[in-house]
Amino acid sequence: MPKEKDRTPETEGLRHESRVAGLREFRTPSLEAVERRRMQLWFLTTVTLVFVATGVLVLATWTSMGSVVLSAPAMRLGALAIVGVFCAYVIEKELRLWRVTRMLTDERVLIASLTNRLHEVSLLLETGRALSGLLDRSELLDTVLRSACELLDANGGSLMLVEGDELVTVSVRGREEALGARIRLGEGVAGHVALRREPILIEGHVDPTEFPGLADRRPYVESAMSLPLVHADEVVGVLNVNAAAGRAFTEYDLRAVAVFAEQCAAAIANATAFEAERRHVAELIELQRAEAG
Amino acid sequence: MSVSIRRPRVLIVEDDPDLLVVLRVNLTAVGLDPILAGDGRTAISRIQAERPDAVVLDVMLPGIDGWSVLEDLHTMGDPVPIVVCSAKKNAEDMARARALGASGYVVKPFDIDRLLDAVLEAVGVRDRRTDIAVEVGLDVGVELG
Repeated sequence: MPKEKDRTPETEGLRHESRVAGLREFRTPSLEAVERRRMQLWFLTTVTLVFVATGVLVLATWTSMGSVVLSAPAMRLGALAIVGVFCAYVIEKELRLWRVTRMLTDERVLIASLTNRLHEVSLLLETGRALSGLLDRSELLDTVLRSACELLDANGGSLMLVEGDELVTVSVRGREEALGARIRLGEGVAGHVALRREPILIEGHVDPTEFPGLADRRPYVESAMSLPLVHADEVVGVLNVNAAAGRAFTEYDLRAVAVFAEQCAAAIANATAFEAERRHVAELIELQRAEAG
Repeated sequence: MSVSIRRPRVLIVEDDPDLLVVLRVNLTAVGLDPILAGDGRTAISRIQAERPDAVVLDVMLPGIDGWSVLEDLHTMGDPVPIVVCSAKKNAEDMARARALGASGYVVKPFDIDRLLDAVLEAVGVRDRRTDIAVEVGLDVGVELG
């Protein structure tokens, strides 16, 4: 018996249709089982029609030889009735199988989307766990950028952190000369993102009038994303990711990486606080040593 | 003897499994016959194979996104009414959807009753509710959330 939690209207409907369509394994029907049943049905149809045609032919020959057991009109009528009933049976079963196919396709769509969601959540969880264990700031920043590129199948990007009213590029993949570059908040795409706290999906060439202060860098990026890293209502930095050639980021990617960006912002803020604390402790120890000496 | 009436078939194109289930339950409850697609490729193949009476299309999909699906159907000249679901409510996106032949535009997060109204209107059922707000000249346009 199916478990109580499996008894949704959809699965009950699927089981009912499968049973009526003649699927023996109706508890766990599959598209392959439906196809097998369909082939059986067509085989049965062909055999029955050949059998009826042969029977009609034999009886017709028999009556033309003078038999009076069955008249020609009765034979024709009988054959027609058999064919009609059988066709109705086949059509009914075929319709049921079609419905089962549709229901199974729907179930597959649901399973696929649940699997995708699970994969996405697992990846984020794994990355979040790895990031939360890192307290070395420079290692963390490189890991954040590398993980973002791996998550999105990107070929490069940069990570910028807020320092006063500027953004400083602290980690780069793909365009190493940009390391250490500074821009003011509100300037260019990243500055705009930091100021507005809104992620941006870039498709094609960026219009410089939309983003004042945008540097003219070539080659142009076909598809990119820029996300603010916000922790405790403060902008920590901006994550920029460029798509590999032939790949275009979508809003779907933007949504997935936005969750990742939240985790990154928290990890960066923690690592920054830890580093400041460590520096402070080192200063105190140094001071103590100086006083003792 | 039972008489079965063909219910309007509606294809739900959505990658979020929770929303897929919620929309399926609600569309069934108002007498529609929902079928599902979780990505753009499946959506196009099911539209061609099963000829739904309307499509609820999320624009944010993995792989081929909703805009590409809309463009493909527009290029093929497919007349199926499409209600676009998007998190963006700017006029450019609404105008783009209209230019690509969408019959409705619903902004996420949506109120389910309003979405159902848009879908029912798209399939030609007009007597469920009459308070559909029309936006930017779309046949069915609802401002939600």
